[in-house]
Amino acid sequence: MKSETGFLGTLRSFPANVWSSIFRNPLPSSDLGRSQTTFSNFFLHIHPVKTHTNSLRARYTLGLGVMAFSLFLILLVSGILLMFYYVPSVEQAHNRMLDLSGTVAFGVLLRNMHRWAAHGMVAIVLLHLCRVFFTGSYRKPREFNWVVGVLLLLLTLFMSFTGYLLPWDQLAFWAITVGTAIAGYAPFVGEQVRFLLLGDRVVGQEALIRFYVLHVAVLPFFMTVLIGVHFWRIRKDGGLSRPEGSDLPEAQEKNALALQAKLEGLAPKAKLAKNKTFGVMGVVRGPFTKVGNVPDNTVSSWPYLFIAELFVFALTLLVILVLAVVLNAPLEAPADATHPPNPSKAPWYFLGLQEMVSYSAFWGGVGIPTIFVLLLVLLPYLDRGTKGVGVWFSRHRLLATTTFTTLLLVNLVLVIVGTFFRGPNWAFVVPWEKPAVSEHAPAPPAAPAAAPAGR
Amino acid sequence: MTMPTEAKPSMTMSRRRALTITSVVSLFGANAVAVFSNLLFFKPRVTYGEPSRFRIGKAEAYPLGTRLPMTRQRVTIVRTEAGMAAISNTCTHLGCVIATTEIGFDCPCHGSRFDAEGTVLGGPAPRPLPWFRIALSPSGELEVDTAEPVPAGTFLKV
Repeated sequence: MKSETGFLGTLRSFPANVWSSIFRNPLPSSDLGRSQTTFSNFFLHIHPVKTHTNSLRARYTLGLGVMAFSLFLILLVSGILLMFYYVPSVEQAHNRMLDLSGTVAFGVLLRNMHRWAAHGMVAIVLLHLCRVFFTGSYRKPREFNWVVGVLLLLLTLFMSFTGYLLPWDQLAFWAITVGTAIAGYAPFVGEQVRFLLLGDRVVGQEALIRFYVLHVAVLPFFMTVLIGVHFWRIRKDGGLSRPEGSDLPEAQEKNALALQAKLEGLAPKAKLAKNKTFGVMGVVRGPFTKVGNVPDNTVSSWPYLFIAELFVFALTLLVILVLAVVLNAPLEAPADATHPPNPSKAPWYFLGLQEMVSYSAFWGGVGIPTIFVLLLVLLPYLDRGTKGVGVWFSRHRLLATTTFTTLLLVNLVLVIVGTFFRGPNWAFVVPWEKPAVSEHAPAPPAAPAAAPAGR
Repeated sequence: MTMPTEAKPSMTMSRRRALTITSVVSLFGANAVAVFSNLLFFKPRVTYGEPSRFRIGKAEAYPLGTRLPMTRQRVTIVRTEAGMAAISNTCTHLGCVIATTEIGFDCPCHGSRFDAEGTVLGGPAPRPLPWFRIALSPSGELEVDTAEPVPAGTFLKV
């Protein structure tokens, strides 16, 4: 860039100077430039400068991790916006929900987005866990990141659970009443935990403010920290898992060229670097990461990885937007502690628990879930095999895959039974033979006059 | 600060080391106490909802055979020949408010049924309904305390 002098020159080069002070590198046209762009940008530098072609295979990752994070970002933004109008008080909360549709521009859309993204995040995080399991990616050296992932799943469930109460309608009130009652079945500490969670012996104002603070401050904080650790560990553990032998030069040339041919035109032609010119930009442990002049079946993260991530994010946002436009988040009558709907149901992801609780309170609500979570956390330390990593449903992991699938299907069946096949009095009903009655019917109107709780 | 008795030369501890250990322990001990006090902070000492102790008026207001549900306080006032009692209205299954009938209790949420004394007759409820203390206050009014469970069958003679 030629230097300009004088006031006019300064003025003329002002935009370019500002631009180059923010973005250190011009749009890259060489491997060195692509590496520097990734490396020197705050938002990009959590990525490696080179990405293994296996990590970019949509059929391998299904994009679930990026999808979950995209949903987290959507929830963060829509949640903060909703906070501008929400008041965590039993007198006002439900009215504020109504106000969102009456007086706030795009209020309903934001609430819908928040609700559907929350349900979506629970589902996608579960699917992400399944992906990591079925590809054996929790195995050494990624054991601890699996544990962090399980913690993130539990946090996601807790986030969704605390958010469930905030609209303060009948659905919220009774789902939390039932959900915290399940927690009360834990031996010795159950009642204490329930009391601490609710700040009272029943769901009321104390529970609302507690859930609110957990939902908007405490849990998002821990979630953000753990997400940071989760991403950091991906890098430090040698990138996403991939099948054995996928780093070999023979596989390299073919795969990388095929990928490049597919993405041709997206970026300036990137030649496969046999002789890399960049130096050591990070030292990473693990048997997979190679630093130096070794062919390793990678491509530049800029643009291939970033375009893939941007695409997944845009797709996720689009799906949530469409859902939010088409489907309204439910809002029932204001919470009424004296008139429980029949049946009262917990949030859908806890309906498997509730179904089990209807058989045995302790085992269904506490025993089996605790064992299941413990098994999940300990899995990478119990399964020490090394074969079949990076391959979907590998034959070498038949036992683990079968066990996990069985448990998963059992839980899925329980959730479906709890959601659709349980009617009044928790009696078995067949949904398509039943007259259309709302599962969470509002309180009967001809009720004896009784002051609602907390007023 | 004086050193502990020194039996063997190898067991001796320099003054510097003793002071270091003492200060490290007190420093982190103070931190631990601070953290613990924050944990206690989360347990409320008073609740702002329905008070657990409330008066229900004089016994004369409750004729023999009364089974009066008080939905706000979640308790049913019972008067039989044995006296008066307060039986919980909260289902022991998953915390729903149960309906009081002439002969017992029915939970509308998941179909638990209880007899007149709160014993489980059917449904998923794992425990009988708790009974609460009912006492005569100095003013002559009856006072129920839902924070104080009593054994089932404990009646207040009136």
